[in-house]
Amino acid sequence: MFEIQTGEGGYLKLSGRLDAAESERALTQLNTLSQPITVDCSDLEYISSAGLGILLQTYKRLLGLGHTFKLVNMQPRVRNVFTYAGLDKFLLIE
Amino acid sequence: MGERQRFPRNFNSLKVISEFVAAFLAARGIDPAHAFEADLVIEELFTNMVKYAGGGAHDIEIGLEGDRDVLTITLRDFDVDAFDVTRVRPVDTCTPAGERQPGGLGIHLVRQIADSLEYEYKDRNSTITVTKKLRS
Repeated sequence: MFEIQTGEGGYLKLSGRLDAAESERALTQLNTLSQPITVDCSDLEYISSAGLGILLQTYKRLLGLGHTFKLVNMQPRVRNVFTYAGLDKFLLIE
Repeated sequence: MGERQRFPRNFNSLKVISEFVAAFLAARGIDPAHAFEADLVIEELFTNMVKYAGGGAHDIEIGLEGDRDVLTITLRDFDVDAFDVTRVRPVDTCTPAGERQPGGLGIHLVRQIADSLEYEYKDRNSTITVTKKLRS
């Protein structure tokens, strides 16, 4: 089960498992965004390369529009996946 | 003796596969914290078979063996063309995020997590075997 909750001022909260089965639906929702975004990952329990791929795609799209895409409150094991992928050096993760 | 189960070759199998892994770890008294990386390795290899194994039409078999020291994961794809995951080109993780091209990242993650990754192709069956030392 994976969910994206949207709040005020470009705030998003991801929860559950962002795997290959959920990534297409998640991307459809992320593609509606066109403002600076802060993503709260505190309840994101799992991510695979499919999940990384859609977050990376969203980052690139927003960057092209001149907006920021920030990931916050990531659980250590989820952050490890970003580190393995070498994305922790380039994405804005706090 | 390990556990083996076959799963339909589509992404919707991932939830049931994750439950299969959790049940195996619980039955062996292995720390459930290891489920995260086991799930990740299996998802990357399973989805790779679903997407790229030429001619694949059969369910994919996943095998789990191990104890508190080491976990061995096997994925077997039947009657398919060869696709040697150990030969997938490494991802350059120094490329900035904005310049990254899709593809190859899943196998890269498997290589980062696994202690060994082996591929065997025999009688049109592909078998991938991964071992992971478990450190609590």
